[in-house]
Amino acid sequence: MGLGFLVPLALAAAAAIVVPIVVHLTRRRKSKVLRFPSIRFIEKVPYRAESRRRIHHWFLLSLRALAVLLIVAAFARPFVDRTDEATAAGTGPTERVVLLDHSWSMALGDRWSDAQEAAREAVSDLGPLDRASVVVFATGAAAIARSTAEPVRLRQAIDTSRVSDEGTTYGPGLKLAQTILEESELPARELVIVSDFQAQGWTGDEGVTLPAGTEVRTVVVGDGPIDNSAVADVALNRQQVEGRERVSPAARLVRTGGTEPREVEVVLSLDGQPVQTQTVTLPAEGADGVVFDPVTIGADQTQGSVSISEDDLPQDDMMRFVLSPGRAETVRLLVPPGATDAAFYVERALGITEAGEFDVVVSSGGVPSGEALDETDVLLLVDRPLGTPETDRVRDWVQDGGGLILVAGERGGWGEGGETVFPGALGGVEDRDGRGERLASVEYEHPIFEVFRGPRQGDFSAARFYRARAYSVQASDSVAVLARFDDGSTALAERRTGAGRVLVWSSTLDAGWTDLALQPVFLPFVHELARYASGAREAFESFTAGQVVDVTDARAMESAGLGAIAEAIAASEERVVLAPSGASSELTDGSSSHFLQLSEAGFYEIRPPGRGDLRPVSVAVNVDRGESDLSALDPEELVASLRSGGDVLPAGDTERAAALRRADQERRQSWWRWLLLGAFGILIIETVLSNRLSTATARSGHARMAS
Amino acid sequence: MDRTATASARFLDPDVLARIGNLELLARTVVDGFLNGIHKAPYLGLSMDFAQHRPYVPGDDIRHLDWRLFARTDRYYIKQYDAETNTDLVALVDVSDSMDWTSDDARPTKLDYARFLAASLLHLSRRQRDRVGCVTFDHDPIERVPAAARNLDLSLMALERSVPRGPGDLKNAMYEVSGGLRKRGIVLLVSDLYEDPDDVVAAIRYLTARKQDVMIFHVLDPGERDLPVGDAVSFEDAETGEQVPVIPTKLREGYAQVIADHVETLRRSMTGERVDFVPVDTSQPLDHALFAYLSLRARSTRRR
Repeated sequence: MGLGFLVPLALAAAAAIVVPIVVHLTRRRKSKVLRFPSIRFIEKVPYRAESRRRIHHWFLLSLRALAVLLIVAAFARPFVDRTDEATAAGTGPTERVVLLDHSWSMALGDRWSDAQEAAREAVSDLGPLDRASVVVFATGAAAIARSTAEPVRLRQAIDTSRVSDEGTTYGPGLKLAQTILEESELPARELVIVSDFQAQGWTGDEGVTLPAGTEVRTVVVGDGPIDNSAVADVALNRQQVEGRERVSPAARLVRTGGTEPREVEVVLSLDGQPVQTQTVTLPAEGADGVVFDPVTIGADQTQGSVSISEDDLPQDDMMRFVLSPGRAETVRLLVPPGATDAAFYVERALGITEAGEFDVVVSSGGVPSGEALDETDVLLLVDRPLGTPETDRVRDWVQDGGGLILVAGERGGWGEGGETVFPGALGGVEDRDGRGERLASVEYEHPIFEVFRGPRQGDFSAARFYRARAYSVQASDSVAVLARFDDGSTALAERRTGAGRVLVWSSTLDAGWTDLALQPVFLPFVHELARYASGAREAFESFTAGQVVDVTDARAMESAGLGAIAEAIAASEERVVLAPSGASSELTDGSSSHFLQLSEAGFYEIRPPGRGDLRPVSVAVNVDRGESDLSALDPEELVASLRSGGDVLPAGDTERAAALRRADQERRQSWWRWLLLGAFGILIIETVLSNRLSTATARSGHARMAS
Repeated sequence: MDRTATASARFLDPDVLARIGNLELLARTVVDGFLNGIHKAPYLGLSMDFAQHRPYVPGDDIRHLDWRLFARTDRYYIKQYDAETNTDLVALVDVSDSMDWTSDDARPTKLDYARFLAASLLHLSRRQRDRVGCVTFDHDPIERVPAAARNLDLSLMALERSVPRGPGDLKNAMYEVSGGLRKRGIVLLVSDLYEDPDDVVAAIRYLTARKQDVMIFHVLDPGERDLPVGDAVSFEDAETGEQVPVIPTKLREGYAQVIADHVETLRRSMTGERVDFVPVDTSQPLDHALFAYLSLRARSTRRR
């Protein structure tokens, strides 16, 4: 241990100590200038030389010199060098990262207070050269104190952190810890993970590679017995009863742990008012379901929830959702004149929905114009060609978001200019030999086929196709082939034009050319086809904490179930957001401030400023239900999977690290502040004293004159 | 005498004179006031010379009867005199920068005082029929008005026009001036004499070598004798611009002694040169200088 200087060269400035002396002896006072006829006799008076060359106030001079010395010392950045001590101790300076889990499962019992205490303890034994960071993680991760040696700051960061409404994901936190450790110049590195180690947040494929030699410690909190009940899911089944839409909420309840069956009260609330209550008995480690009586949704953006009586972990005891009355999509079927039966299967298929999703109009006339076309969501042409004037008319409509489906049949096609609307080129009718062909290649990733993706979710291969139109499609950015026959020819192709979609089916949707209409997949296929063409999505009732919504993107908002008001919200330049906690904030266009981070569970309300007449857009946010599964991971397994990579600290960096340690010690001790403060104080005293002395000298001079 | 002198002093007070713009009017005011005050003084007629005798007629002033002639001829004759007009009087007025200074704004500067003094003396001499002239100078002669009977106005104008415009050099200026003094006469030198005493002597010798009766009016402001009381101040030389920081309070005594020594040295040097040396204070009335001048004239007349 010894006194060191970070900038020893600055000590050379100590030579400035002579400055006050030189100034004292040579300074010409900045005094009043008096014109005088001749100074030849003044210069002859011996007073000046003597007075100037004498130092009258040694005390003042020493104060000035001391102030100069203190300032010089401050710039030399002194510190007590304890590098040797730390090295002798064998530990060496350590960079420590404390990963603190603040997912909502940490709210259970004493988990959070235990975790905070463990984190405090982890930063309490920092050596003089050590530094530590505190990273809180849940779905995301944030460094609330980054690479600091100030225990107060670390403790403060831990004390002020709160349990979030997000679920556990280890990846982001570990990645951030890896970055901090990699950036550190200190030779030793340590990672302390404080968590309840929920298994569901661990994929085993986080791809985290900690720097070589990183020591990992784990602190497990809350490993006692668990008994947690949760509302795992709420399904909102819509039905059309006597022309009115009704919603039947059904909740699934799950219980983790416990030994005895537990009676739970389940409450359905709409707009904050309890509507229905049911009681179920949840077995230990079991689940049960509740179906509420159908309710009618009167207004847009109705806030609803299903909750159970609170237990130790209240976050998952309520599931929130936002409901709006459903709107039927208008599907206009255009058939050839006199052949209204051509669309029989399609029409019937679209008419069979529980919630009356489609409003089907069959017409053998031409493509409507004006308002009638604007009110149409999907135009389905069955075995009917589209003339050139009609093609021009639908082009703009499709651009604005209309959905056009052309079922080719024998006569289907398009006139001049149609190639800018429809994908590919339709040829003549082709007969398939033998038992016909099957749909061999289906894009199950596409929204139309996504529902059939899983096993036993629909078998397209059962359908036979005996005839189809020759159809060649050149795939591009806007054109995609969604289904092909065995021979590779195109069955279904899509072209996206502006905000709209155009689909061409090269066969028919009746029992003439194919038996698809007789297959079980027909009904859902036609529904999905119409749904996709209309651009409508299934209502999205709630979000999960941690998700982000872009409030300026009307389509994104609408597709996220935020309803028609979303457009008004997106169009205005500013929006006011009221978070569930009551905090109000403004989201303005520009930069990234229009992204709404849904970090709290509850109902967010978004509205344009000063628009009191509009009902605000409600966004229901629930905690991640996966977090309800409190089954724990073996910490050792997690530690073992964290790979250590990289080399040890390069030899050339050792000196840099040493220099950094010195700088770090100096920064923490920060003597220079006190030295500068001292110099400042001394200069103030010097000023006061010298002023008093000057006044006293002048007074005595006057007194001598008077006498 | 005291009463009249006091009355006239009102007109000779430099503070009052400073308010009179016209130099001729000022000189006349001064001289008339001064002469009124000394009406009975023995100096009257000193500049008159005998011209001729004429027979006495009743009503003549019997003081002018020539009693010696009456003793020889037993007849009354009156002595008649002519005014003495054969003396040249030249005022040399120092207008260097150091003269443009006063310690009190209500008081005239040394230069103004020198102008009043020179104008008054020239006017007084002119009333006595002297030929008058004037030279203003700093380090060189600036304006020369040769001595002549009609040159009073020109001389006064030269004085009035004079403005300080540079440092002074008495020795050089007197050397230049002496070249123009061909006729014997009286030279009045009005200056603050911020020169080395030896240089002053050398300068005066250029004039005395030309057979001139030299009279020096050493003009000083009271503030030059006694420094003001005060804290630190820088004194700036009016001629060189050089500054020197001092604390006047501490310097006063030493400075007063130095300036007194200087004046005394000058007085002794001038006495040695047989030159009249009249210290003049700008706070004093002008009559002090005028009396000094008339005394000189009286002495020079007696010498003649």
